[in-house]
Amino acid sequence: MVKRTARLIAAAVAAGVALAGCGSGDAGTQASGPVDVTFWGWAAGYDKSVALWNESHPDIHVKYEALPSGGQTGYDKMLTAAKAGTAPCLAQVGYETFSTFLAAGVLQDVSQYVKPQRSEFPDWVWNNVGVNGAAYGVPVDTAPMAMFYRADLFKSANIAIPKTWDEFATAAAAVKAANPQARIMNLPTDPYLYSGFAWQHGASWFGVKGDSWTVSIDSAANAEVGQYWQGLFTQGLVTSYPAFDAALYSAWSKGEVWSEVGPVWSASLIRDNAGDSAGKWSVAPMPRWGTTDAVGNSGGSSTAVMKGCKYPKQATEFALWMSTNDQSVSNLIASAAILPASKSGLANAALDKPESYYGGQAIYQLFRDEAPKVNPNWQWGPVMSATAASLGDGLGKVPTKGGTYQDALSGAQKSTLSALQAQGFSVSK
Amino acid sequence: MTTTLQTPAPTEPVVTATRRRRPRTSPLTTVNPATRLLVLLIMSLFAVYFLVPVWWLVVSATKGQGELFSGNGFWFGGHFALVDNVQTLFRAQGGIYSRWLLNSLLYAVGGGLVSTLLASMCGYALAKFSFPGREAVFGTVLAAVLLPAPVLAIPLYLVFSYTGTVNTFWSVFIPSIVSPFGVYLSRIYAASSVPDQLIEAGRLDGAGEFRIFTIGVRLMAPAMVTIFLFQFVAIWTNFLLPSLMLADTSLQPVTVGLVSWRELQGYPISYTTVVTGALVSVIPVVAMFLSLQSFWSKGLATGAVK
Amino acid sequence: MSHVTIRRRGRARELRRAAPFVLPFLVLFVVVYLIPAGYSIAQSFFAVKRSGLGLGGAETVFAGLDNYTRVFGDGEFLGSLGRVAFIGVIQVPVMLGIALILALLIDSSVATGRKFFRVAYFLPYGLPGVIAALVWSFLYAPTLSPITRLFASMGIHVSFVTDGALPFSIANILTWAWTGYNTILIFSALQAIPEETMEAAALDGCSGWKAALLIKVPLIRPALLLTLVFSIIGTAQLYNEPVTMKAVAPNLASTYTPIMAALRSLSANDFNYAAAQSVVLGAVICVLSVLVFRASARSVDS
Repeated sequence: MVKRTARLIAAAVAAGVALAGCGSGDAGTQASGPVDVTFWGWAAGYDKSVALWNESHPDIHVKYEALPSGGQTGYDKMLTAAKAGTAPCLAQVGYETFSTFLAAGVLQDVSQYVKPQRSEFPDWVWNNVGVNGAAYGVPVDTAPMAMFYRADLFKSANIAIPKTWDEFATAAAAVKAANPQARIMNLPTDPYLYSGFAWQHGASWFGVKGDSWTVSIDSAANAEVGQYWQGLFTQGLVTSYPAFDAALYSAWSKGEVWSEVGPVWSASLIRDNAGDSAGKWSVAPMPRWGTTDAVGNSGGSSTAVMKGCKYPKQATEFALWMSTNDQSVSNLIASAAILPASKSGLANAALDKPESYYGGQAIYQLFRDEAPKVNPNWQWGPVMSATAASLGDGLGKVPTKGGTYQDALSGAQKSTLSALQAQGFSVSK
Repeated sequence: MTTTLQTPAPTEPVVTATRRRRPRTSPLTTVNPATRLLVLLIMSLFAVYFLVPVWWLVVSATKGQGELFSGNGFWFGGHFALVDNVQTLFRAQGGIYSRWLLNSLLYAVGGGLVSTLLASMCGYALAKFSFPGREAVFGTVLAAVLLPAPVLAIPLYLVFSYTGTVNTFWSVFIPSIVSPFGVYLSRIYAASSVPDQLIEAGRLDGAGEFRIFTIGVRLMAPAMVTIFLFQFVAIWTNFLLPSLMLADTSLQPVTVGLVSWRELQGYPISYTTVVTGALVSVIPVVAMFLSLQSFWSKGLATGAVK
Repeated sequence: MSHVTIRRRGRARELRRAAPFVLPFLVLFVVVYLIPAGYSIAQSFFAVKRSGLGLGGAETVFAGLDNYTRVFGDGEFLGSLGRVAFIGVIQVPVMLGIALILALLIDSSVATGRKFFRVAYFLPYGLPGVIAALVWSFLYAPTLSPITRLFASMGIHVSFVTDGALPFSIANILTWAWTGYNTILIFSALQAIPEETMEAAALDGCSGWKAALLIKVPLIRPALLLTLVFSIIGTAQLYNEPVTMKAVAPNLASTYTPIMAALRSLSANDFNYAAAQSVVLGAVICVLSVLVFRASARSVDS
């Protein structure tokens, strides 16, 4: 009996010690000895930046784990882990999903830790990682768009590189005329890739009016963008492979698809998947809508600090380092083809390096010059997984003629509104 | 479509075991060679249908990078790269693949053994003790046989996330060790194969109930093997539950891991590596199946001919 | 001491004996089956409420039947039920028909190489559903598919992933994966038919196909009905195959089957609605299996 009681007391004491360890608020700031920070992401090169950090920072050990990309199942996994209280300290969260994560209440305010280094980033990028001036993470990159094209094929067919979307349509017809097997581009049916085209045209999807959300995915401006692509598809001027599919990659390699208007990270997508056409690609500015000098953006992500992270200060320190350190940023540019968000990153020498895959062109200079022309006020909604799933379903039906861009946009508008209402967000018409 | 179908037709193997087997060739029928040829043709056509995708998997796993989608899909490529592919597979992402295989094995073998034990204990008691509430328990368990596991996966996820146990080994293991079908099967089998006299004799000798059970359980062995095999396959092939529950890649079974590689769309894990991984992951189950095959035809069907 | 007391004492003793055997399973059964089911039903009557832009988290409030009103007005969810019913109606009879024929052939005296064929037919069942779907998704992928290319070289254009072809492509994966399994089950039922029965039939001049259809098939009807019930229920929980096919068929909706629809609600953080969808699906399956069982019991009796 005595023995048993003693054991119970011992267990209780042990539990108490453990609880104190968890609950203590400043464990994060005063931890002594090396601390462990787990980091979940999927972008290429993150593992190398983490390795670089671990070499030079013995006190804060970062453990990187690769997930499927967020839009696949990565975000689901992060939310699952957050519910179990086993979330990693740091997570790669795209700007498009940031509001969704905030609404789910899985992120941690780290404004106080980023404060000293706030000025090292352009002001507007902070809007992507928090509301009302608070920060829940550190921006890594932005993703302005441009036109990647097969310089060899355009040249031999004597077709001028289009500067506007009207010229692009003309060029599309010329490409098909030059080679009936070839098309100018693959139809953008991935919802996030497509969002870049809407963004460029000022066709906003979400807005904030007072204390409620507005949704405008079916606006006139959005319809205009949708009709443009629907038109090219109906005339048979574009291919319609699934986005990110091996069939598309092989068409790039074989010269059956001559260009891709896409974000900066397409540079690695094309380079790594269409190896046979190395040296034949170039990059030109994204075609414009008439005379409006605006560029689209598709992607860009942050290193977010998740709720439950015991060492938010150290985690933020690493996140800031990853986005600003010279070596880390040049590694990210080389592996993931990013355009850095930080000011020091934008001055990184790697951006001026000629790229042999792109015929020796220093392609990142072009993205750096185009970045200021991206509309900084684009707003993402708080139920993006519902919006993107519905828009993706709709756009997926376009190639098989089961629906049109217009159908997809109004479908997404409808299901976004119902998702917002069902989840208790206030919506104003 | 997967999980329930792995638990169906409860009585077949057992019932078969207890009856006499009919010789295949009846001396009274003479067979027309043309009929024989026609039957062979039909059976071969279906064999081709069932084997072609497996053949494609085998051939594809031997192809070099970039050869997967060119040339004849159903014949070997320019060079035989199987060894390279397997090496790449086990080195990818810090060797995570062998971890996945190990996880699958742990979930399937561990889950199979524990569920078999729990189910045969429960089935034995349901058959041999007439305690109050027995039929209510059996009825509820029987109803659960009809509820497909995937339908339950989401409710399980809701509960486990409420209690904060998602993303742990147990979130996959615990649901795997409950086999209502196993209880059903072992009750039927215990009722017919464990004689009441055995239990009474044991009690007269002063043996405890568990001691008696350890003797009785030997008579239930064929049913237990069947339960284990069904449960092993059900766990090994399960995808929805672990993909819902687990976020950590190091906890995942091989099915979930391979699908996440497939979702990378060819980079940085190539399709060839995914296909090789699929082939390697199938080998243990197929090996299991070939032994299950002989178990069914020899052990269950003919084993009972005494 | 009355008779009743003795019986009561006996039953109490039996309960004490049975408890250590039954409880381990029963406790886990409650944890894994009853609690989740009950919890989902409870959750389906709640909804989340937020204030303002809702970026500060949410609280859960009682919502009555709101989620159910939503389920029955949700075209995508109802559509997914319809799709699955369509696939089931086509696929299950075809699969069981083939399985029956193959089982009869293996069982018949005219077959050669039985052992090989049994293994060949059974092999697909050894592949986990997602792996089988993964292999087929490569065989279906437009422009990459070796099958499509084979046809293209003969000048025939085929696609397995058009809106119209998708249900059949999925049904094919199911048929491929499960026919062999059902064949073996039916075959072992055939093996259990006593030798004397068939000998007697042969003496009456009934052999070959006639014997197979008139004597063997009626004798194994219970086994056939059981495979039917489980195949129907199996189709209702369709998930692995369509979700894997999505990589090569973007036109496949993310709410293609009821389970996919419920999962989509989950990943949209719409927990309570996902619970309601699961409850409705579970109820549909329960009703369906009771109906099929009743019908099959009646036809066995007759």
